[in-house]
Amino acid sequence: MPKKGRMGGTDEDNADVARVLAGDLEAFAGIVRRWQSRLLNLAWRFCRDRAMAEDMAQEAFLKAYRSLSSFRGEAAFSSWLTSVALNSYRSRLRAEGPPLLGIDLVQALAVAPAALEGLHDTERTEAVRRAVLLLPPRYRDAIVVFYFQERDLAESARILGIAEGTLKARLHRGRELLRRRCAMLMMGSGRPLEQGT
Amino acid sequence: MPDELERLLASNDPLEPSSGFAAGVMAAVRRQAAEPPPLPFPWLRFLVGVGACLLLAGAGAALWLSSGDALLNLVAPLAPVEAAGPELGYAALALAASALLARLPRALVR
Repeated sequence: MPKKGRMGGTDEDNADVARVLAGDLEAFAGIVRRWQSRLLNLAWRFCRDRAMAEDMAQEAFLKAYRSLSSFRGEAAFSSWLTSVALNSYRSRLRAEGPPLLGIDLVQALAVAPAALEGLHDTERTEAVRRAVLLLPPRYRDAIVVFYFQERDLAESARILGIAEGTLKARLHRGRELLRRRCAMLMMGSGRPLEQGT
Repeated sequence: MPDELERLLASNDPLEPSSGFAAGVMAAVRRQAAEPPPLPFPWLRFLVGVGACLLLAGAGAALWLSSGDALLNLVAPLAPVEAAGPELGYAALALAASALLARLPRALVR
C-alpha cells in the first residue's frame, strides 16, 4: 500500500528503480502497482474528475519513468515521486486553466444562498474542495498537498520545494480566503467556521 | 468547537484506480521506451553558424567603413536603373546579392 512507503523509500522501490535503470522495463510495473492509488488521488484532488485524474496520473508516471535516473535515493522515493507528479499536475493546470467543475456551489451562493441550506455534509465537503481549486495556485497547492499528506508540514514543504514557514503562511492565507468564500456554505451546516490553529 | 473548514479539508474521499489503469500506464511506458531517443540539438553546428554570421557581419561592417567611395563606385552601374525607378534599383541589388550568395557555398567547398 502507498501508505506504507509514504514516509520513506522502501526496499522494493529502490530495487525496482535499479532494475528499470538496468534495462528491465517490466520492473516499473511494481512501482505503478504500489503508487497508482497515491498519484491518482493527488490528481483527483486537483481536478475532481475521474477521467482527467487518471490521465494526469498516467502522464505523471511517464514523466517519472523518463526522469528515473535523476532519483538519487537521497530523498524518500515517495517524496521524489510525489514531487514529480505535483510538478506535472501544476504544469497541466497552468496550461489548461482550472478544471471545469460543472455547477459550482460556491459560485451559486451569490445567486441563491437559500438553495444551499439543505446541503448534505458530502455535498458541502465537495463544494469546499472545489472552492480550493479556485484559489490562486500557490494557496491551492499548499492546501491540497498539506491535507493530502495528512497535515505533515515538513513533508509537504519538501514536496512543494518551499520552506516550512512559507508553507505555514500560504496555508494561513489560503484558509482565510476559503473561509471568506465559503462562509455562507458553512452557515448552512449549523457549525460556523472558527479560526484554525 | 472544532474548526469546520479544517474538518472538511481533512476528510478523505479516496478514489480507486479503474481496473485497467495500471495496464494502461505500462502500455504507455512501453510505447515510450520503444520510441527512438530524441535527437539532441546540434549545439556545435549552431555555435559555428552563429560565429560565422558574426564574423561576416563584422567583416562587412569593417569593409563598409574602410572602403569609403570605393563601395559607392561598386554600385554605380546600378544608378541608371535606379533613375528609371527606385524599386528597380532595389530589385537589381537584391538579385545581385542573391547571385553572390548562391555562389558562396560553391566557393567554400572548392
